Amino acid sequence: MPKTVPVDYQSTVKKPDDFDAFWDGVQQQAAAVPLEPEMIPDPLRTSAEVEVFQVFYTSIEHVRIAAWYCRPTHRVGRLPAVLLLPGYQADPPIPKEWALKGYGALSVAPRGKLRSNRQFNPGYPNLLTYNIVDRHTYAYRGFYVDAWRGIDFLLARPEVDPTRLGVTGSSQGGGLTITTAAMRPEIRAAAAGAPYLCGFMDAIALTHTYPYEEINDFLRAHPDSRHAVEATVAYFDGINFADKITCPIIVNIGLQDNVCPPETGYALFNQIRATDKQLYTYDGHGHDAGRSKHNAIVDRFFAQHLLSER
Amino acid sequence: MDQRPGDFDQYWQQTLDALATYPACPEIDVLPLRSTDFATLYSVRLTSLGPYRLFGYLSIPTGAGPFPTIYYAPKYQSVLEIIPQGTANLQRSRYITFALAGRGQRNADTPYAAMFPGLLTDGIDQAVSYLFRGIVADSVRGLQFLLTRRELDPGRVVVVGNDMALITAALQPGTTHVVTAPTLFYNTAELAPRTPAYPLEEVNDYLRAFPDRAEAVRRTLAYYDLRAFAPRLNATTLLMAGAPGTLLDAPTMEPLVTALQGQVTVYAVEQSSYKDGLYVEQWMAAQCGITDVHNILPEHWR
Repeated sequence: MPKTVPVDYQSTVKKPDDFDAFWDGVQQQAAAVPLEPEMIPDPLRTSAEVEVFQVFYTSIEHVRIAAWYCRPTHRVGRLPAVLLLPGYQADPPIPKEWALKGYGALSVAPRGKLRSNRQFNPGYPNLLTYNIVDRHTYAYRGFYVDAWRGIDFLLARPEVDPTRLGVTGSSQGGGLTITTAAMRPEIRAAAAGAPYLCGFMDAIALTHTYPYEEINDFLRAHPDSRHAVEATVAYFDGINFADKITCPIIVNIGLQDNVCPPETGYALFNQIRATDKQLYTYDGHGHDAGRSKHNAIVDRFFAQHLLSER
Repeated sequence: MDQRPGDFDQYWQQTLDALATYPACPEIDVLPLRSTDFATLYSVRLTSLGPYRLFGYLSIPTGAGPFPTIYYAPKYQSVLEIIPQGTANLQRSRYITFALAGRGQRNADTPYAAMFPGLLTDGIDQAVSYLFRGIVADSVRGLQFLLTRRELDPGRVVVVGNDMALITAALQPGTTHVVTAPTLFYNTAELAPRTPAYPLEEVNDYLRAFPDRAEAVRRTLAYYDLRAFAPRLNATTLLMAGAPGTLLDAPTMEPLVTALQGQVTVYAVEQSSYKDGLYVEQWMAAQCGITDVHNILPEHWR
């Protein structure tokens, strides 16, 4: 039998004193960059029920970000919308199923992902450790902002109701859901699955699987950089963003998760500030985090918070 | 059901003959960053049909060998993993592993960069120039290269992947075991309209845009249908079937199981990456004579 996971696991990560100042500076820099959204119909992927668009917008450092946007063909009034964030290895999907449920849905490919890798391409594997000794140029600095800017795109859409925005994803998408919900107060509901990018330094001791293993590879090659790595990732750790989350949120984890250790899921959840929060744990499940059962819960959660008119 | 084309064998023999005209010309370099005290990782570049230069990650355990081998055939995704996400890195201490990017995947995306979705239907209306003809050749070339490694135990060669695993093992002798999770090429013309999910949704998109090409698409897909390859496959096979009631569940794939020539185990997935992943790791270890698989599992599976 696999070992029991302590529900009160304490992460070793500490929030840097200048955490808020650092991210304020990043957001100010990003705000100075015009979004320049572009929405191109994709007739090949469009059906009678769902309109599909290729989307592009500009993010921090003027990197052009690609996304897929879907909306129901037949609409009455303004739509609730959901921002979908991708896994580490996943190619961002075309979110037709969300449009069929009545949402506008934006599926973002942050920098380095397919279709967003012309200006920034750290390779795969390598994203997790790209400039990991410097918080000012670490890959996830821009990557996080790319996700947050997806909210700006949705806010710019006339068919989207700006008071009914949600965010969701699993694995890296779960980690990005945490940071996005923390940094974008416009979000009304968030659902994070198997959150990655939470408890980086805990994870590399708890498991030896990729992608976290990239950091162990890096430290084996650069043992003198451990302190610098710890210092950098503390600015990017979802656990340090969690006390900024105030919207309703659900989190699901697998208790045999071989990619994102469940210990880090507990540590994250315990730090989330929102009072309306719920953790779903799935024994007998790995990195899927019980998706086959949990998807219906996510559907009900967003329907409750976003589908009904306010 | 798609009919097996009368020139099925000729189509694939011509593909293999064309591949044979290009020497692999392997270029192998150590990757120190991903090498450990228990395994060395190499980047590998190979030439395939086209000619087209491919990329792969080859990991060789420390020690004398020979070692059992896992060949991770090209996947339907843009990135190439050293070993699949979530696999214990210690897997590399017991097995040679080789993961290959087919044309269009990252590191093998010059000059052709595939789109996802988009790869499955690229050129699908012409069997002779269908993109997957090249990817099958790529996958065969990867296995051919792997079989030349002196560290490899020829009695323990496992090919793992989606449909590509089965097709590769059917076309290239040398595979002893196959782990296959059909996704792309099982009765595709019939099953695609029953799902809105990618990758098969690519076929639906394509036929909505080009309805007059439906027969041509059906003809092409017939050359790739797993049931047509099955009589060629003698390896011991683990067939990963979908959960009961899903598109590719075990009852649906019964004709494939019947047609396979080697010993077949059908495993219906439980939609748990833990239970399903553990089953595969234990099955491969048992087939390869590894008695302490517990020691090379992810920590949370032990």
